[in-house]
Formats: sequence, C-alpha cells, structure tokens
Amino acid sequence: MCSMAFLATHALTKRYSSVTALDALDLELSPGVIGLVGANGAGKSTLIKILLGLLKPTSGSAQLLGFDVTRQEIDLRQYVGYMPEHDCLPTDVSATEFVALMARMSGLPRSAARERTADTLRHVGLFEERYREMGGYSMGMKQRVKLAQALVHDPRVLLLDEPTNGLDPEARDEMLDLVRRTGQEFGMAIIMASHLLTEIERVCNYLVVIDAGRLVRSAPIASFTERTQVLVVEVEGDGSALVRRLHEEGLTVRQEDGRILVGLDDDRTYDFIRDGIAELGLGLLRLEQGRQTLEDLFRTPKTDGNDVALA
Amino acid sequence: MSLSPEPEGSVYDVGYRAYEGVRLGRLQAILALYVTSFLGVFGIGRHTSSKILPFALATIALIPAVVQLGVVAASETIDFTIISPDDYYEFIQWPLALFVAAVAPELVGRDQRNHTLPLYFSRPLLRSDYILAKMAALSTALLAMALVPQAAIFVGNAMAHSDALDYFRENWRDIAPIIASGAMLSVFWSAVALAIGSQTDRWPLASGGIIAYFAVGWIVGSVLVNNAADGPFRYSLLVSGFHVVRAFTLWTFGVTPQPLPTNGDTTLAGDLALADVSLYVYTLAAAVTIAVALFTVHLRYRRMAL
Repeated sequence: MCSMAFLATHALTKRYSSVTALDALDLELSPGVIGLVGANGAGKSTLIKILLGLLKPTSGSAQLLGFDVTRQEIDLRQYVGYMPEHDCLPTDVSATEFVALMARMSGLPRSAARERTADTLRHVGLFEERYREMGGYSMGMKQRVKLAQALVHDPRVLLLDEPTNGLDPEARDEMLDLVRRTGQEFGMAIIMASHLLTEIERVCNYLVVIDAGRLVRSAPIASFTERTQVLVVEVEGDGSALVRRLHEEGLTVRQEDGRILVGLDDDRTYDFIRDGIAELGLGLLRLEQGRQTLEDLFRTPKTDGNDVALA
Repeated sequence: MSLSPEPEGSVYDVGYRAYEGVRLGRLQAILALYVTSFLGVFGIGRHTSSKILPFALATIALIPAVVQLGVVAASETIDFTIISPDDYYEFIQWPLALFVAAVAPELVGRDQRNHTLPLYFSRPLLRSDYILAKMAALSTALLAMALVPQAAIFVGNAMAHSDALDYFRENWRDIAPIIASGAMLSVFWSAVALAIGSQTDRWPLASGGIIAYFAVGWIVGSVLVNNAADGPFRYSLLVSGFHVVRAFTLWTFGVTPQPLPTNGDTTLAGDLALADVSLYVYTLAAAVTIAVALFTVHLRYRRMAL
C-alpha cells in the first residue's frame, strides 16, 4: 500500500454564488472514527459531498484512500459507503430489494450482493420487516436501511452525514451504538458529520471542527473531552453570588440562561460548589455533568460582568 | 452429569463480515441499474397497480397482429394480408406513445422524488452512465413492445402459408427494415420521453407533456401540410414524432408514400406524400431530435444539485 494519508485536502475551496462553503481547507488525517463537527452551514455536508465526487470543488484538491476525488472518482467510489442526511429511500420496494440493488451497483456480483444484503440488514437490526415496503417504516428503521446500504459492499470508509437526524432519543442511542460498534469493533474507518458534540464524543476517537468552511481544530477526541468537563449548576436564589465565590476559589465559572457552568478540575470542585451553596443559603436545583454542545465550546466568550470564559 | 464447556443454544451475533470477493465496478453498476429499470418499466418488482398500464398497452399493441392472424387463419386457401409490416407501427403508434408517456416519467421521476440519486452517484456510476442505463431500459422495453407483434405476424403468416419455408424465402427481406425501423422508433421516442420526463418529478405533468409532444406535432403537421403543402409548411412534419418514424419506416422498406385518392381521411403516409420532402431528410430530422433530446437530459442531470 502507498503511504499516502487516509484523507488529505489541500486548499480545498467550494464557493456558491453568494456563499463560501469551504474556504481553503487543509486537512491530513489517519484512518479512525473521525467526527466532523460544525454548526449547520459550517461546510460538513459540502466536504463529504466533495469527497464522494457529488460536488466539484471550486479549487484545491482532495484525496481519500489515496484516490484523487475528482480524477479517480469511479475507482474511489467502489470503496466508499455514504449515508446522506436526508430521506433517500424509495417507498415502494422492500429493504432487501433496495439494499441488494445498491450492493450490485457498488460492483458486487449478484450472489454476493444477496448474501451480504441479508448479513448487513441483520447487522443493523432489521429482521422480518426487511421484506416489507419501506414506505411504512419508522424513522429509526429508515435510518438503519440507510446505514445498511452504505455498508453492504464492505467499504473501506463510511461517510455518515448526521446519522441521527430525525430520530427520537431511544433510536438515536441505538444508531450511535451501531455506528460505534461498526467503527470500533469491526475496524471500519468512519467520517461522521454531526452538529452535536455529545454524539461525536460517544462514537469517535478523532475530532475535526470546522466553522464557516475553515478548519478550527483537528485532534484526538481525548484532547477535547478534557476541556468539556463542565458541571452545570442550577440554584434557587441569587446565582451571581455563587459565581463570585467560586471564581474567588480559582475555578472557571460562567453564568448563562440561569445556569452556572463550572469547569471541572478535580473532585474538589464538587466540594467548593456544595460549600458555597450551603454558606450562601441557596437551594440546589440541579448539579450534573454538562452535556456540552458545540455552541458551548466554541462560542465567543462574553467578558463582561461575572462571566468567565470556559476553555 | 458433565457440564459442557460452552453454554448450549447461545444466541450469538455473527456480526459484520468483511468482503474479500471481486468488485466489478462501473459496468456492473450500469448493468444492475439497467436490469432493475427495465423490469420497473413493466412494473415487475413493484406494485400490481404499476403493471396494469404497461401490460394493457402491450396487449393493445398486439391486437392488430391478432386480427391479421385471425384473418389468415380463416382464409385458409389464399394468402391474405390486411396489415403489412411497413404499416404496423402506424397502427400501434398511439399505444406505443402512451406507453412511453406512462412509464418514462416514473422511470426517472421516482429517483428524483425519493432523493435516491445521491446514493446512485456515490457509487461507481457517472451521471452519463445513469442516463445510458435509463435510456437503454426504456428503448429496449419499447422495442420489445414493437417487435413482438411483428414477430407474431411474421411467424403466423409463415405457418398459415402452404409452405413456411417458401414464405420465408419470399419475405425475409422485410426482417431488416422491421428491426431497423422498430429500433429507430424506440430510440427516438425514448429519448424525447426522457428529455420531457426528467424535467419534473411530478408524473402527471411529465406524462401530459409527452402526450402533448406526439399529439401537437401530429395534428399541427397534418393540418399545415393538408392546407398549404406548397410553401415552407411542408417541412412542418419534420417535428412530428409520428410522421418522422413513419417516413423512416417507409424509407427502410423502400416504399414511396402515395397520396390518398380521396381528400377525406388523412394518414401519415398521405401527409408525407403531400409534403413531398425526400424521406432521408426525415432520418436526419430524427437524428437531430435524438441528439437534442439526449443533450437536454444530459444538461438536466449535470445541473442537478445532489
């Protein structure tokens, strides 16, 4: 095998008439379960579509699996699985028929396609219902079929665009678990776009953050999670006194929307909060580990008043 | 009693398995899409309701052949022809036109409506490959609709003939023109139907557009030629899908269209005789129309955002 990077982009740029979706993006990544994070419109989907050859970049270049995405798209796409963000399934055929067609269209012979369709649908957790027309499927079942069609030809890399889109919490957990198992137990390289950092944390081991088409950060997930250790405190009464007090103790504190966010340095942080609340005579409503969204992490910090930026 | 080393009847997940076999690439992708699309045209692998219209029209297209064979069978001693091969496509032009109007919009429209195209185009398949597969599916389906009745007549006539081999010796020269004109009809009308059908994912609109293409060209061309055959209007038949195919068919059979003795009815051949434009010009018109139609489809898919 060549020693080329798993994914490399060089000055990759995509401009629409009025918007720049990708702005001279430079990336170099090794295989892994890679989370691609950014707010809606940050350029995640654009990047994925360029890697698939669905979109042509305005300028710059990109290689995936060592293939140039604009010049070797046909070769590349034999080894790529793609799960789009939106609905993409025909309503009047069964999952089995559809996934088998997708397998053959990926280049698999008919018999292999049939066999792998059954395996893959079982892997994603579709059983008897796989013979029914997909028009009657729940959102969760449709997402599973979308994942199955991306996996059926055993790609070397799986590109997932917001795989939990439209799912209820339970189905979302199941989908994330499925993606995590596929990536970590079966060792498939995955690039998963999401605007929810918590989802990325659960599944991925590497994180790429883009914003307004530019690279913000690219690092192993561990280096992020250290910074996302945040306690969310809600109290009854005057929270700003508590904020002042915790700040004096040397903690990183920020107050927003009636919640107090406290950087979790070590276990003593809990003691400080407990003591502070007790001595100020406040009522504790909530104390929990923060479920951070990207917005919390990458928001431009306010510096007025008692607000102190986290991270 | 001994304990078995492993628990019995355990439920286990075979899990995800790697695929080490061959990957056949682009040709396999095109072939898979072609086969599925061809079957889909006739509603095979789809709802029963999707089968009704295509099979009904295929049956109607067979009726003239059945009539001819019935007559042949009834008139035992003499060889009797009421429908000759060069006339057949004119007899069944409306069933064939309605067939493409019925199936072409769904053939391409449902992929747009269901947003399936990003899944296709993230596989080893170019956009032009997609068009090729759909075009091939529709053309071969239409060709089957056109050729099956012709084959039935040819074989039926031969069997009814006192000497089948003799019949074959006398008529084998018809085979090439039957296939050539049928193929041209299929490619021509399929290209036009896809050009119209791919513009929208709403099939009533697309089907209406395709029917309008045939009807308007047919009626306007015929009226203009019958009322002002001397002026430049005699070229108006060049944009009529029915007339162009009729002209090509006559040309391949080496038949010169004759004006009708009376001025009552009009037929395509009668119109062509009145227009008096050399038949090969219609072949050029067909080639140009096919090229324009396929280029229109190409533009549609090239510009489509996925």
